[in-house]
Amino acid sequence: MKQKRTTNLFWNQQQKIAPYLFIAPFYLLFVLFMGYPLISSLVMSLYEMRGFQSRIFVGIGNFTDLFGDPIFWKSLRNTAYFAAGTLTLQLPIALLLAILLNSKFVKGKNFLRLAFFAPVLVAGVFVAIIFNLVYDQRAGLVNQEFVLFGKEIGWLNEEKYVMPAVILTGVWQWAGFNMIYFLAGLQGIRQELYEAAAVDGANWWQAFIHVTLPSLRPVIAFVFVVSMIGSLQLFDLPFILTNGGEPADAGSTIVMYLYKNGFQFMRLGYAATIGWVLFFIIAVISIVQLKLLGIFRDE
Amino acid sequence: MFRLPIDFESFPLGKGPMVMLILFLVSTLFIFGRSEQEGENLEFWIFANTHYEEYQARVPIFEAQNPGINVQLINFGGTMHDKLLAAMLSNFGAPDLVEVEITSIGRFLKGAIDEVGFVDLRPRLESEGWMEKLVVSRFTPWSYRDKIFGIPHDLHPVVLLYRDDLFKAAGVEMTEIETWDDFIAAGKKATRDLDGDGEIDQYAIVLDRRTESDYFSLLLQQGGGFFDEAGNVIIDSELAIETLEFFTALFNEHEIATPVYGTWHGDPSNFAAMQDGKILSILAPDWYVGILKSQVPQMSGKWKAVGMPAWYPGGRRTTTRGGTMIGITKQCENPYLAWEVLKFTYFDRPGLINRYETTRIIPPLKSAWDAPIFKEPDVYLGGQPLGELFIELAPDMPPRYQNPYWSEGADLLNDAIFAAVTEKKTPREALTDLAGKVRALIAKDRDRWGDL
Repeated sequence: MKQKRTTNLFWNQQQKIAPYLFIAPFYLLFVLFMGYPLISSLVMSLYEMRGFQSRIFVGIGNFTDLFGDPIFWKSLRNTAYFAAGTLTLQLPIALLLAILLNSKFVKGKNFLRLAFFAPVLVAGVFVAIIFNLVYDQRAGLVNQEFVLFGKEIGWLNEEKYVMPAVILTGVWQWAGFNMIYFLAGLQGIRQELYEAAAVDGANWWQAFIHVTLPSLRPVIAFVFVVSMIGSLQLFDLPFILTNGGEPADAGSTIVMYLYKNGFQFMRLGYAATIGWVLFFIIAVISIVQLKLLGIFRDE
Repeated sequence: MFRLPIDFESFPLGKGPMVMLILFLVSTLFIFGRSEQEGENLEFWIFANTHYEEYQARVPIFEAQNPGINVQLINFGGTMHDKLLAAMLSNFGAPDLVEVEITSIGRFLKGAIDEVGFVDLRPRLESEGWMEKLVVSRFTPWSYRDKIFGIPHDLHPVVLLYRDDLFKAAGVEMTEIETWDDFIAAGKKATRDLDGDGEIDQYAIVLDRRTESDYFSLLLQQGGGFFDEAGNVIIDSELAIETLEFFTALFNEHEIATPVYGTWHGDPSNFAAMQDGKILSILAPDWYVGILKSQVPQMSGKWKAVGMPAWYPGGRRTTTRGGTMIGITKQCENPYLAWEVLKFTYFDRPGLINRYETTRIIPPLKSAWDAPIFKEPDVYLGGQPLGELFIELAPDMPPRYQNPYWSEGADLLNDAIFAAVTEKKTPREALTDLAGKVRALIAKDRDRWGDL
């Protein structure tokens, strides 16, 4: 009798504990690899490191330094430039490609989907190396066309061309990826809505404006926010393409400046500060975007 | 009949997950179950492929001469410096021996001198008499506050590499050039619009205006620098300003220089411009000749080399650019053994001759210079014995003083040079602003940390 009671107690306890044990691996890993580094970097942003062992508490000193740092502002401007270029160029192109591939008039859709999606499978480092050759001043693919007008453009050598070159590379790499989201969204729109619009006399453009775009709103919001976050975290592409952000920091981005401070200048506290400022920028922009796109609205 | 003591069917998620679990366990046992090689093990981190290939061939010889010692070479490529930094910060996982590139060493010198992660090699170098055997100015990039944290891998003297055929076609005999004034006069003859379309088809020299590389080489040639031996900022000295004025004038006033094509001198775009005859000369350290040979072999026989033009008659005809050191980390458990490996890879004459043969890198060990290979005609330079020229110039190499603020300074110097060449600032403004920023940075750290 006593043994049976003990067994029941064991099973009761196990039933209570089991769910926590099942989810424990995730939380343990989260605390170890996300929670601890996050808290640690927040603490680090309040200190200035000196060498490998010493550090000194500076309070918000790193934050006030950062807001007076012209290279930080330049990097922020470059990052915003890239984000604006990405959102205004890449997303419409991705949507256009998705509409084309969703149309019944286009042949070889599977091949085209793969072809447009393929660039995202190439690591950013290799994309940068490939586009270094594409933008080659003497023999690059781009200048082979522009040289017909008698000018060799130093895409990666002249300040004004650096960010456009980075944006175009980003478009090549990511437009196909975003196209897949739009394509999935387009395929999820009920055909009856188009039929109803046609009955009401809507032409293709009117159907696009009044049926397609509103139906795609959640997908657009998702792609918009994810692309914006990706743009703000830009690092490898300009770092390799411009050989570290030169000339004159024209290719420098926030994350690149963070990397330089952390790893090249050994200013780990300052680098952590940049990381936290970037986090707040991303959080604010994402919330504003989602709000504007009506994602928080109850349908 | 034999049956496995495992019931595949009753495994919770079926056969597939069970096989995956077994594979995971077997591979884990394989990875962690391997015993370390017996004897003394040393880990040696490298970032350059050419160095790695050289040591791969040389280390087995050392191991054969020293039974029981295993040297593990690991080539991390460009990310090695970041990994080393992380290992030193966490005080765990650093190698015994490591090579560090000249523009990266500054960050490892930050903080109190006793906290630097490398062993001070000065006592060993002095007690064994190596200081006299090596080019002493070459220790400066690896020294700080009287301590020597690395041994130089190379000298990297710089020469002027030029297209003899095209200069001769313009009526210029480059071997007669002695000073930069001579070069400007010759450059004006050689910089030409050949087809009369208003565009210049060939420039006397290609210079990098994106980074400090060429400007800083010219400044070092005159004995200047960013920091002096005591660590003071001297980048706004009259010498530095005049050098930048000269540098910008080559582009804007004399119009004999073209900016580097692409992002640096080793860019395919730059090589294409060379092949098209658009570039007639370049300031080339020894390693750059090695790159040219491997990347543009079709230009063999078209280049010749001469000492850099001097700033005044009889002045220094060379400078230095780039460099690597080898150091022993403080995490090394057997620094005596590491020192022996270091000596074998850096001071062994046959190894240094092999290094020159494969990379054209001139060793800092003076006793290796009398090897016949340095006097051999170089086919790539039309039979000119390039090694002989480098060795003739090597003893006159300028010092390059190291400083923990070099990385920040160099980053800002890049911007200052670009601003001056593109005429957004005068050279004086650009360098004065730059020096002010770096001094402010140092002063701020002094306020926080006291004496640095």
